[in-house]
Amino acid sequence: MPEHTHRAATSGAPLLEVEGLTAGYGGVQAVRDLSFTVGPGEVVALLGPNGAGKTTSLLATVGLLPLMSGTVRALGQPVDTRKPHLLARRGVMMVPDDRGIFYGLSVADHFRLARRRADASRRALVLERFPALERLMSRKVGLLSGGEQQMLTIAKALLAEPKVLMIDEMSLGLAPKIVQEMLPSIRDLAKQEGIGLVLVEQHIELALSVADRGLILNHGRVVLDGPASELLQRRDQVEAAYFGADDLGDVDEEVLPTASTS
Amino acid sequence: MSDAPRSEGGLVARDLTVRYGGVVANEGVTIEVRPGQVVGLIGPNGAGKTTFVDAVTGFTACEGSIHLDGRRIDDLAPHRRKAAGLTRTWQSGELFGNLTVRENLLVSARSISFGSLFADVFKPHKATEAGVEKALEVVGLRGVADVLARDLTLGQQKLVGVARALAGRCSLVLLDEPAAGLDSNESLEFGERVREIAADGPGVLLIDHDMSLVMSVSDVVYVLEFGKIIFSGTPEDARTDPAVVAAYLGVPMEAADA
Amino acid sequence: MTTYLEFAVLGLGLASVYVGLSTGLLLVYRSTGIINFAQGAMGMWGVYVFTTLHDDGVLVLPIGSLTLGDEMAMAPAILIGLVNAVVLGVLAHYLVFRPVRHAPDLAQVVVSIGLMVLLQALAVIRFGPNNIPVESIFPREELTVLGADVAVRELSMCLVMLVLAALVWAYLRFTYAGAATRAASENERGAVLMGFAPDRLALVAMVMGAVVSTVGVMFGASLTGLSPANYTLMVVPALAALLVARLESVGIAVLASVLLGVFQSELSLIATKPWWPVWAKSGLDQVVPFVVIMVILFVLGGRMPSRGSLQSVRLPDVAVPRFRLVPTLVLLGVTAAALVVANDTYRFGLTSSLIITLLALSYVVITGYLGQISLAQSAFAGAAGFTLAKLTAQWDMPFPLAIVLSAAVAALLGMAVALPAFRIRGVQLAIVTIAAALAIERFVFGNYSLTPPTGNPIAAPQLFGIDFAIREGRDLARLEFSFMVLAVVTLVILAFVRIARGDTGRAFLAVRANERAAASAGIDVRRTKLIGFGLSAFIAGVAGCLLGYSHGQLSAESFSVVVGLQVLAMAYLGGITSFGGAIVAGMLGPLGLVYTALHQWFDMGDYYALITGIGLIVTAILNPSGIAGQTRMQIAWVREHLGHGEEPPTSGPPDTGEPAPSSGRTGQEVAGRV
Repeated sequence: MPEHTHRAATSGAPLLEVEGLTAGYGGVQAVRDLSFTVGPGEVVALLGPNGAGKTTSLLATVGLLPLMSGTVRALGQPVDTRKPHLLARRGVMMVPDDRGIFYGLSVADHFRLARRRADASRRALVLERFPALERLMSRKVGLLSGGEQQMLTIAKALLAEPKVLMIDEMSLGLAPKIVQEMLPSIRDLAKQEGIGLVLVEQHIELALSVADRGLILNHGRVVLDGPASELLQRRDQVEAAYFGADDLGDVDEEVLPTASTS
Repeated sequence: MSDAPRSEGGLVARDLTVRYGGVVANEGVTIEVRPGQVVGLIGPNGAGKTTFVDAVTGFTACEGSIHLDGRRIDDLAPHRRKAAGLTRTWQSGELFGNLTVRENLLVSARSISFGSLFADVFKPHKATEAGVEKALEVVGLRGVADVLARDLTLGQQKLVGVARALAGRCSLVLLDEPAAGLDSNESLEFGERVREIAADGPGVLLIDHDMSLVMSVSDVVYVLEFGKIIFSGTPEDARTDPAVVAAYLGVPMEAADA
Repeated sequence: MTTYLEFAVLGLGLASVYVGLSTGLLLVYRSTGIINFAQGAMGMWGVYVFTTLHDDGVLVLPIGSLTLGDEMAMAPAILIGLVNAVVLGVLAHYLVFRPVRHAPDLAQVVVSIGLMVLLQALAVIRFGPNNIPVESIFPREELTVLGADVAVRELSMCLVMLVLAALVWAYLRFTYAGAATRAASENERGAVLMGFAPDRLALVAMVMGAVVSTVGVMFGASLTGLSPANYTLMVVPALAALLVARLESVGIAVLASVLLGVFQSELSLIATKPWWPVWAKSGLDQVVPFVVIMVILFVLGGRMPSRGSLQSVRLPDVAVPRFRLVPTLVLLGVTAAALVVANDTYRFGLTSSLIITLLALSYVVITGYLGQISLAQSAFAGAAGFTLAKLTAQWDMPFPLAIVLSAAVAALLGMAVALPAFRIRGVQLAIVTIAAALAIERFVFGNYSLTPPTGNPIAAPQLFGIDFAIREGRDLARLEFSFMVLAVVTLVILAFVRIARGDTGRAFLAVRANERAAASAGIDVRRTKLIGFGLSAFIAGVAGCLLGYSHGQLSAESFSVVVGLQVLAMAYLGGITSFGGAIVAGMLGPLGLVYTALHQWFDMGDYYALITGIGLIVTAILNPSGIAGQTRMQIAWVREHLGHGEEPPTSGPPDTGEPAPSSGRTGQEVAGRV
């Protein structure tokens, strides 16, 4: 892990403060008592298997899902669930797992929509990171490949010069090679510009290798929380948390459980 | 039981390819499930597992061939595949919330026609039947048979989904993420039930991300990544296969971090 | 040949209306996902304001009016008319459509129908029921082109509408807000996450749509005059154009509108030829759009874009009914006693209520149980009623058999209308069924060669030597007739209860809950829908027969689409998922007990429809499951609006978490195969 990250993380007030967040659907809690903060330039990875409550956490954080309890403060102000779009305008962007793109619109349309007032230098900066998008400008997004769509998703979010960027399952359906190229690039930009970055991922290694801090969720609760470098070293514990052992006491027994053939 | 004779029985899905627009969700996937066998299908999120289930059960158009008990079924509508003995559960349960548990199963056990209207009015059928009661027994839901499905806990709803798939004619059942949302104990218990179901005759294709469950109950495991089968074999072999481990946990990023 | 050219140009007048309405519909749909059945009615209001200002100098407001001199000049009158359209658009957005943005399809259909009923009723109250002339801003001149005398007026109108539509297209295509509207219409969550307020975009689109539609109606009305009914239902052909455009393209919607207008004009010319069959002369204007809609849905059905939205409330819960002897007997006893003691007027009201209960029950079957939206129930009732007239008057068919056969005819018609339901659902089905209802109303009921204008007398029912006729001498509501109705209604409800509890009812509820899951459980979804439509139309047909007997003779007005919509309104108010709701609907319904009482106490007249419309909108917004029986939903609603309420009581395991993806693409896959 690069050293400078901790420096960046400690400077300035937190951009996003989530405290005791509990949320879910139809009265059923999908995530319980989640707390974390993200400071400028800090990268937080929210990890866990399918169904652990990661996406629910993000939706509740940006106000798209009402909180059952807890508080969320973004840029020092509480989040208004009645006007979730205002949060995005203030620079707290979330990239949802369906990528939040519009198949009927062209790449150029997306670029235009991402920024009310066009800014050529910002555009150039973003295109520098995703040069492949340049030649796709006039193409409808529905015709792009999965990787290109994901690039557009991130590019679109970066164009708006976000202060906080939350990305849900960026690696979903992408070849690891692409993810390995994109993640560090995004991380570097976050460091440069002081963006607070939240990565929601299934893939532990990829996410932890660029994150400062990691939270591992399972069955709606945080089961492991710590600096990314430490989590990476305690890989066995991470795997146990991941593969469903609720009680981390028996971590050492089995990493991948042995068959109990009857 | 995994050494059943190589007959025409069970499910044979050969070379299934599914495309959504420009995205290939399944590419040449071939999977066999023989009667009495539990076959696990695992893979990371977005690997195309549910797409495969949808293709086999007729909810997504696909290329390739699907045979059930020697009969080609890939040109049948979903309800006809069910009638042929191919049943499934849904990731999100998809129960009929306004019906009781038993009624949910009855829907699956009986088909209706115009005659049903007259039968309902003049000579109603009994409000249960043998297959339904047996399925309730197998999943252990007799106690809540008259509760509305929407009032159950998630774990119970999942079991109702399984029972519904078993209630009518069933020679092969596809379980799509049946253990999601169950805690470890429930999951273990569920594994037992899956073995019981298979012991009773039907083949089981188990799709789940709970590795411990899949590994412990499956005779054969297939691993799907990016729409392709990257591994097939015994659970023991899967556990040590580097490609499988990498698919799940991701590859360490030495290069990227340098 | 020149005549054809002249008629083609004349058709451009009608085309102008279609362009105005379909462009407005498209704007509203793309910005909110709602099909606004009130688009025609909204377009009509501003024109009324304009024409009363221009003719009398009176500015008529919904309540009260201002006199501004004798006559107002054309330009300011038009301007004020358009300002009214803007205000109407703003009000409709905030008071009617915004509250149901995330409500189920049914609530959205109901709310826009409520607005349509409300505006139509208000127009009757404020401007009178008769057709009034509207002055044209274009000169009535003719131009000779290729030897044909071409109407300049129609040509100019169409040109203006094309320019307006082009402006709308440019707005969507080139402006920032327009691009955002397109984005939000495809993936609303994605748009919110990019910082757009879909709400604001919807407001803009609603206002633009209201203005464009108003101009279209203004042009059309200068040719045909303006009455509260004619432009309200003009929305149906415009919907046909909208479907041709796959709810997406302004250009195609405009092209389809123009072609439709021209084609109808040509058809009216061809229909005057001696070889054209006499029976096929009336109602062509409604048949053509219906045929267009059917063809389009058959061709494109499965591929109609579905709109991704944030979340949606499910249909109200159904409590499977049980037969309980004591309450049934008490209810029957009370009703019978009321029938005996009531005077003629109230007995007729109560009897009508019983009949309307059946019509409402048909909505309960099709919408409450099967989850399909049908706006054609009145047409099914009418089909049975007219069949009954033929069977009894011409073939002397005896009483109970005639009802069964007539209702069976309605059931067949219902199944025919169900065919498109194989491929579509929700609001698109609402479009098909309202188009079918209008086509049947105009082409069959209003067709003099099929149903003579002198009326269709229905022979009085008799059984075992008892005469069940409604009238005899000075007795205008005979007890025998009322008891016969009570018996028939009771039998149908009892049969319904058994079906709802039986295999069929379970299959309906399974299909309603989730078509894919139902198919995976072995249900033949198509066949189930066919059965549902058949059953529902049969019940509506029985209601139609009883209505026929109660009137003694039938006319097209007995079964107008608007009456059907009012009953839907009442069924929705009463609670669309239970037969209890149907009974409430019967009591509240047109000509029913409450209606009669209100008429007796106050002179309600035109206000009944107005109250219906308002009640419908308010109910759909506040309580998507209606008045009767749905305490569960009401409690949930109260809790939600009091700020999340207490902690959920269940301590069940956590949800699997991730919500269903809401992209339009997934929706299409879902719609693909079942």
